[in-house]
This record gives sequence, C-alpha cells and structure tokens, in this order.
Amino acid sequence: MSDIITVNNLVMVYSDGTKAVDDISFNVKEGEFFGFLGPNGAGKSTTIKILTTLLRKTSGSAIVAGHDLDKEPKEIRKLIGVQSQDTAVDGDLTGRENLILQGHFQQLPSAELKQRTKELLKLVELEDAADKRARNYSGGMKKRLDLATALVHRPRLLFLDEPTTGLDPQSRAAIWAYLEKLNKDEGTTIFLTTQYMEEADRLCRQLSIIDYGKIVASGSPVELKRQVGADSIKLSLENCAKDKRSAKEILSRVEGVSRVLDSEECLTVYAKNAGLVIADIVRAFDSRGIRLSSVSFSSPTLDDIFLQHTGRRIRGEDLVKSPSALLVGRRR
Amino acid sequence: MTLFSDTRYLFVRYLKKLVRNPILLFFSLFQPIIFLLLFTQLFSKFSSLPGFLQATGASTYLEFATAGILLQNAFGSALQSGTSIVLDLDTGYLQKMLVTPVSRYAILLGRLTSDAFRVVVQSAIILALAYALGATVTTGVAGILLMLFIVAFFGLAWSGISLAIGLKTRSSETVFAIGGFLTFPLLFMSTALTPKLLMPDWISDVSNFNPISYTVDAVRALMITGYDWATVLKAFGVIGLIAAVTLGATLYQFRKVVS
Repeated sequence: MSDIITVNNLVMVYSDGTKAVDDISFNVKEGEFFGFLGPNGAGKSTTIKILTTLLRKTSGSAIVAGHDLDKEPKEIRKLIGVQSQDTAVDGDLTGRENLILQGHFQQLPSAELKQRTKELLKLVELEDAADKRARNYSGGMKKRLDLATALVHRPRLLFLDEPTTGLDPQSRAAIWAYLEKLNKDEGTTIFLTTQYMEEADRLCRQLSIIDYGKIVASGSPVELKRQVGADSIKLSLENCAKDKRSAKEILSRVEGVSRVLDSEECLTVYAKNAGLVIADIVRAFDSRGIRLSSVSFSSPTLDDIFLQHTGRRIRGEDLVKSPSALLVGRRR
Repeated sequence: MTLFSDTRYLFVRYLKKLVRNPILLFFSLFQPIIFLLLFTQLFSKFSSLPGFLQATGASTYLEFATAGILLQNAFGSALQSGTSIVLDLDTGYLQKMLVTPVSRYAILLGRLTSDAFRVVVQSAIILALAYALGATVTTGVAGILLMLFIVAFFGLAWSGISLAIGLKTRSSETVFAIGGFLTFPLLFMSTALTPKLLMPDWISDVSNFNPISYTVDAVRALMITGYDWATVLKAFGVIGLIAAVTLGATLYQFRKVVS
C-alpha cells in the first residue's frame, strides 16, 4: 500500500531556541493505525501541529494525504480530521450544533450534513444529549463530541493528539472501540500520539517511540518487543544503595544475562530465559551476602522497550497506573 | 469563494453565544439604557445654562446627549470584542477552525459583523428610549439609518483595537484593562456629553483632535440640524482612517497567529 504520510528530516526549533523536533523522518501507510509514543514534551504534539498545517516547520519536508505541506496546505485541510489535546468544543452550542458548524467549515451540503450528524451522534452515543449545550457535558462526553466533529467530513486521515488523556477507564475503552471500528470498517488511517504504553500496545500496528524530539525506535509492537529479545527481571535489594555495585558485578558474570539497567525497583535485568536465570542470580547473591527483598519477571512490554532505548521509564506512567489502582482500592 | 458563507456561519455562532449567556445579554442591552437615563439626568441642568440651547441647537440636554450615548455605547461594546478571540485561542477552538478549510478572513469578519450587529441593536434601543423621553430626529427614518450606519462603522473601527490587543497579548484581562483605560478619558474629552462652550480651554483643544468628537458631531447633526454632509463626510474620513490602522493591526496580529 502507498504512503499517506511521508516525513523527511523534519526539524522544529521554537523562537526561544527549544528544539522540539530534531530531524525526524518516518512514513505512514494508507489504512495504518500508527502511533507516536513518548512522554510529555517529547515533541509529539509539535509534530502533529506541523503535519496538520497549524505550525510552520523550521526545515524538512512532508507530504500529507498526497499533498505537499508547504505548497498545498488547503488541500490537506480538506482531507484530514484533527482532534487536539485540548477538547475544543463550543460549550454555548449544543452537541448537534457543534457538529453542524464543523460540517459547514468542511463545506458539506446541508442534506448530507444532517444525515452525517445523526450517524455520528449515534456512533459516539450522544443521541440523548444531542440538543443539550456542550457546556453541561461530562469530560468523556466532550471528548466523544470532539472526536465526532473531527470525523464529520469522513477524513481519509485522522490525527489524534492524546485522545484519552484524563479520561476514566470506561470512557477510554469506549474511545478505543470507536477508533478500532473506524480503522477497520472505514479504512481511515489513524495517526495517534499517546504517553500510555497500554494504549499504543492495544491500538497501534506501527509505532515510533519519540523522546527529546528524536525517534528512538520504530516497528510494530510485536517487533519492538522482539528487539528487546529477552524477559525482564526486576530485582529489589534490601539495601540498594550499598549493594548495587557488587550486585551488578555479579550479574555481569551470570550466564544468560544480556543487559542490566538501573530502575525504580533497583535493577532491571534482561535475560533470555528468566525462569532459569533467576535461580542462578539468587544463588550468586546469597553466596555474597546480598539480600533480595523481591524478584519479579515478565515478558517484555513497551515500557521495557522505552526503558531500553532511552534509559528511562516513560514519564507519564503514573498517569496510566492511577485509574486502575483506584479501582482496586474501591473494590476492597 | 467561501468567505461569505463562512462569515455567515460564524456570525450566527457569535450571536448564539451572546443570546445564550443571559447575563451578558442583560448587560449588553441594559447598559446603554442605564447610561442614557443616568447621564441625561445627571447633566440635565446643562440645558438651562445661558447659551447652551443656542450653541447646540438642541431643545433639551437629552436631545444633545443621545448622540454621545450612542457613541459611548458603541465604543464600550467594541472594546470588549477582543475577549472572544482570546477565549477561542485558550480553548483551542481557533486552532480547531484553522485545521479546517474555513476561510481565514471569515473568522475575523464573523466576529466583526456580529459586533456591528450588536451595536446596531443596542443603538436602536437607545434611540427608541430617547424618542419615548421626548427627543426627536429631524432627518427621520433615512437619517436614523444613516446614524446607525455611522455608529456601527465607528464600533467596527474600535473592535479592531481590541482584537489586535487580544491576539497580541492573549489575555482577556489586558483587553478589559486597556478598554476601560481608554473609554472614559476619550469620552469625556470629546463633545459626546459636553458642548465645547462648557469645557475648559485645554479640554476643548484636546476634543478638536478626538476622533469621538468628529463622529458625535456627525450623528448629532443628523439628529438635530439635518443632513450636514460636510460633517458626515469628515466623520467617515476619521473613522475610515482609524479603521485602516486598527484593522490593519488586527490583520497583522492574526496572520502571526494563523501562520
């Protein structure tokens, strides 16, 4: 399939000297569900703003939906749908009016627009609230309405800048379901940014991991996990500060260990066959008097990929974990 | 060309926003009424001062001041115009419009035309009330239409200042502060509420350079003395000049935002 986005050597330097996007190149195939995964401030939103004609790039080139970004921004605007990070619905208008106004901006004929508005209200389950002012909607309803306004002209290419940030788990699941349906049933290409590993893993078929304005890894979630090539073992030591150095030295001699990194728990070890290696690690630590407080292992997650490529865990991680932690709390 | 239809859609959007905010609507309709009643009562004894009626040609202070109140109201309304664009910038709605093929100029024109419409409605209310209180317009219906046109054009020119400040500072507070700061000195140092004869010399001199004076004189002439084309044309010239500067500044700031 052909590419719907081609980006070459894109650079964005803001007037204050901040280099938000640092020479990135990538392409997205038609019909793809593509994700930009990265922490806050990584350059995700800046890239979206450039590709959606909102921001003028410093250098580089891009073709979006078949049109050159510099030469034909107007053509691009007719073909793309955009949902920005801030939920921009007009609170003084009803949900239906918001959709109709957006349809007018996209120059849809009235009869078609009326029909399309009905369809979209049904899709995002806002039929009952359609004639209430959007001001009175809940956060999740506003996001859904915002998404619907981005879809009004059936865009070939949909840009979503952190579409589920700040939503409760139910609303997030609902948005995910619409997006999957849209991609599958209508063939809409989706370019999504997120700081949630879980979201990227669930939705995206192609991913680029972006950090400090650079793409640090690209591929499908499965490929990226395979690149890590190993299970991750998280080790907590009773006295991490004191024993860390000698622990690392011991680990470097354990067979099967491919990599050792500092992490929140203390150390994260990558190894081919975690089940076997753990026994060796425990024995070796025991003989040298290093006391372990906990050991856990898992097959690689996107989080591990991020850690491996950037040396850090994804910065927005706390945000992902808190909603589920809250649910657990309530169940008790 | 979608400029016309897009402007119409945005014009309707702004009017809906106004009508659906009852408090805003209340104040924008009642403020002019309060001002008319308050000022014409406060200064009503001006008309008994020797020479007032001969110098102004008005039969009452109300008749003299109606033109001034019309302009004061248009001026105050226009200077709030920029807050709306700040709001659209803050909520991301402006950006949302900009990623669609909507005509860029329609975003400004929609706002300006809805401002002008609001000023015309307010002005009609002021005139109706003044009429009920005994003031008359010598030039009749045609003159009233011309008066409304001048007032709307005047409002449009000053909306430009407010929009430019809003786009530049992206702060509603600044728009309000600068608007409030400009209103009263410019208003009181003009012939809006006080005839020249009652001004100290220096204020009289200042009022000669005050664009509000030129506009007020034209509207007042239409109300009291008749079609004084020289005065009316002078007013159009002055407003046109202001509009060129303020709308130019708005356009310049707007281009910086949208590019």
